[in-house]
Amino acid sequence: MASYRIWILGIALVIAALLIFPPRALFETGLSIQEITKNTSEFNAGLRTGMIIQSINNQQVTSLEEYNTIVDSLFLNLENSEKGVKVNIITKSGEFIFYTNQELSIIVKPLSKIGLKTGLDLSGGARALIKAQDKTLSDSEMSDLIAITSERSNGFGIKDITIKSVKDLEGENYMLLEVAGATPSDLEELVGSQGKFEGKIGNITVFSGGQDISHVERSGQQSGIEGCTQVESGEACRFRFPISLTEEAAQRQADVTSSLSLDSENPQYLSQKLDLYLDDNLMDSLYISKDLKGQVTTQILISGSGSGTSRQEAIKEATKQMNKLQTILITGSLPFKLEIVKLDTISPVLGKEFTKNLLILAGVVFIIISLTIFIRYRKIKITGAVILTMLSEALITLGIAALISWNLDAPSIAGIIAGMGTGVDDQIVLIDESVSKAQISLKEKIKRAFSIIFGAFFTLIAAMIPLFWAGAGMLKGFALTTIITVTVGIVVTRPAFAEILRRIQE
Amino acid sequence: METSKNWFDRNYKFLMIIPFVLLVLSLVYVGNFYSKTGDFLNKDVSLSGGTTITINGDIDLTNLEEALNEKYFGDIIFRKLTDIRSEKAIAIVIETSAKPEQIKPDIEQALGYSLTSENSSTEFTDSFLSSNFYRQLGIALILSFILMSVVIFFLFRTFIPSLAVIFAAFSDIVVPLAVIDYLGIKLSAAGIVAFLMLVGYSVDTDILLTSRVLKKPEGTVNSRIYSAFKTGIMMSLTSLLAVLPAFFIVTGLPDSFRQIFLVLALGLGADIFNTWLMNVGIIKWYCERKNIQ
Repeated sequence: MASYRIWILGIALVIAALLIFPPRALFETGLSIQEITKNTSEFNAGLRTGMIIQSINNQQVTSLEEYNTIVDSLFLNLENSEKGVKVNIITKSGEFIFYTNQELSIIVKPLSKIGLKTGLDLSGGARALIKAQDKTLSDSEMSDLIAITSERSNGFGIKDITIKSVKDLEGENYMLLEVAGATPSDLEELVGSQGKFEGKIGNITVFSGGQDISHVERSGQQSGIEGCTQVESGEACRFRFPISLTEEAAQRQADVTSSLSLDSENPQYLSQKLDLYLDDNLMDSLYISKDLKGQVTTQILISGSGSGTSRQEAIKEATKQMNKLQTILITGSLPFKLEIVKLDTISPVLGKEFTKNLLILAGVVFIIISLTIFIRYRKIKITGAVILTMLSEALITLGIAALISWNLDAPSIAGIIAGMGTGVDDQIVLIDESVSKAQISLKEKIKRAFSIIFGAFFTLIAAMIPLFWAGAGMLKGFALTTIITVTVGIVVTRPAFAEILRRIQE
Repeated sequence: METSKNWFDRNYKFLMIIPFVLLVLSLVYVGNFYSKTGDFLNKDVSLSGGTTITINGDIDLTNLEEALNEKYFGDIIFRKLTDIRSEKAIAIVIETSAKPEQIKPDIEQALGYSLTSENSSTEFTDSFLSSNFYRQLGIALILSFILMSVVIFFLFRTFIPSLAVIFAAFSDIVVPLAVIDYLGIKLSAAGIVAFLMLVGYSVDTDILLTSRVLKKPEGTVNSRIYSAFKTGIMMSLTSLLAVLPAFFIVTGLPDSFRQIFLVLALGLGADIFNTWLMNVGIIKWYCERKNIQ
C-alpha cells in the first residue's frame, strides 16, 4: 500500500519535466516582446511585453536577424508620410496597426525552448550593486529609488533589466541591477548621473525635471524625429517633443520673460534664450518667440539632436537621447548620490564554455558515483535505484528552479551537485541499514536509517540558512539549491527509494 | 576479526592522537598565519577589493606579464583557463586590486586591441563592499556553526557525544583552512560559502556513528562502530569522488565553482580522520565509562 511514495515521485518527475521543457515551446514560432517603452505609438496601439510577434508588415519573423532587418528597413523612406511609417504587427494575441516616426522601442527575444534560465556568470550580462553614498537607505527610500531607476532604465533604453533591493546581515540596503547584454557604461550612466534637468533663462531656473513638469508627450505627431541633415561626419537628426509645465512653473516663466526685451538681430525672438541644462551641462538653447513675452504658457517644445555615421545610426542615437531626456523630465533627479560598489560584466562567450564544462563534469561525476555504488553492492537493481534517485533529485530541483524562475549560476549548480552528494550518502545509509543482520523488521530498519537521515538534513539546513543574508545575498544561489535538493530528497525521493529498496529486498 | 577488535580496543586512545595532532598543527599554522598577515586566510579580490578581468581566447601570457608586471608588481596575478577535453587555452584571468578603468587601458595597450563585453569579462568589487562581504561571511560561518551545534545537541541530548561531533566539525574546518593557507590559495567569497556547507555536510558521518553506537541495541560497541565505519567510509568515498574531479582535472570552470569543490574536498578528506580516529575514540571511551555495551 506504500506504493503511493513511488507515485508521488512519479508525479513530481512529470511536473518537473513539464516545467523544464514546457510543451507549448515545441510548437510555437515567433519572437516574444521582452521590453516595450510606455507611451510610445506601439505601446498605445496595445502591444505589451510577453506578446509573441509573428509578422511585421506581412513579413514573417522567426529569428532576431529577420526582426532586425525588417525593423531597420522601416525608416529608409522617412519622408514618405506625414503621420510617419505605417507598421502592422501580427501577434498571437491579435493584429496591431500604428504609425510612427521613431525607432521601435520593442526589444524581442527568441522563444525559449526550455523553462530554465542561467545566471549572469553563465549567460553573460552586467550586474551592479549600488548603495547610497554615506547613507543607509530606509525601506521606503529604497523602494522610491527602485521605482525611479526602473522608470529610467526603460527610458534610457536598457532592456531586460531586473532591479531589486537586497539587504545584508548588518541591515545595509543595496539596489541590485542585473541586465543581459548591457554594457557597464550603460549601467554607470543609469546610476552615475543624478539626472538634474533645469530650464534656465539667464541664470534664473524656470523649471526643473520632475516636480515642475505635469506631462511629457512621448507619442503623437509633434513628438519624434523632426528630420535629418548631412553633417561633416555623417548625419545628424533633430528630435522634439512637447511638455506641459505646472501652473507655478509657467507663471515663473512669464515673470522672467516679461522683463526681457526683443533680440536686436532677430526681432521675432526675445533677447535671452531658454537654456536646457542636464546635470549642469548646457544641452540646448531655445529661442523664445516674442509672442510669449510675459505670457503664462504651459506648453513648451523641447528639442535636441543625435548624430551618427549613417542615417540609421543617427535616428537611433537621436531616439535614444530623446527617450533619455523624456525619462529624466518625468522622473526628476535621483534623490541621493549613489555609488557603485560592485560592477561585473560577463562575456557570454566564456559563459557558454563554462556551461558546457559544467555539464561534462556533472556527467563524469554521475558515472563515477554509479560505478562506485555498483562495485560496492554488486547489485544492478540497487545501483539502478540509486541512479534513478540521483537523476530524480536533479530533475525535480531544476523543475523547482524553473517554477520560481531562479537564475542558475555556477554556485547554484555546485549546490545541486553537493546536494546530490548528500543524497547518495543518505541512500548508502538506507541500503546498509536494510541489509543489516539485526533481528528487526525491515520497516524498523528503515525507520532507523531515517533518524540518521533527518539528523544530517537538519544540520545541513541549519548551516546554510545564514547564507541567505550574508554578503547581500549574492551567494544565496548555493544555499537555495542545496536546500531545495536535500529537501526534495527527504520529502520525495528518499521515501520512494526506501520503498523501491523494500521491494527489491522482498 | 577478533584480533583486530582487540587491537582497536588497545589502541583507540593512541589513534586519537593523530587527528588531534593534525588539529593542533593546523591551529598553530593558522594562528601563525594570522599573526603574520593579520588575517586567517589569503583573500582574493572579491573579498579584498579589486578587479578580475577574464580575456577570452588563447592569449600569450608572457607578453602580457612582461608589460604589466612592472607597473603592478606584486599586485597582479595571471591564470589560464583551459577546456576540459582538448586542454586548449580558452581564456586568461588577471586579478589586481586596481580599478577596471585603471588596469584596462594598460591591458589593451599590451594586447593591441580593446576589451569589449564580447571578448572579455570584468568583475569589480569595491573595497568597502568586499570587507563587508568578508566580515559577514565570517559572522555567517559562526552562526551556522552555532545552529549546527544546537541541532546536534537536540538530536543526541547527551553532552559528551554531542560535543565530540561538534569538535570533529570544528576540526573539519580548521584543517582545510590550514591546507589552503599553506598552499597559498586566495579564497573567494564562494570558497568561504563552501566552509558553511562543510559545517553541515561533514557531520553526516559523525551523526551516523553516534546514532549507530548509542541508539542501536544490537551487537557490541565495536561491531556497531565497525558497521558504522563500513557505511560511513562509503559515504565519504562517494562524496569525495563527486567533488574531486573538479579539483584535479578541471580548469575550465567558473572559479566560484572550483573553490567550493576544493574546500569541500579538503574538508571531507579531513573528516575521514576526524570521524574515524577522533570521534570514534571519544564515543568508545564514553561507552566504556558509561558501561554501554
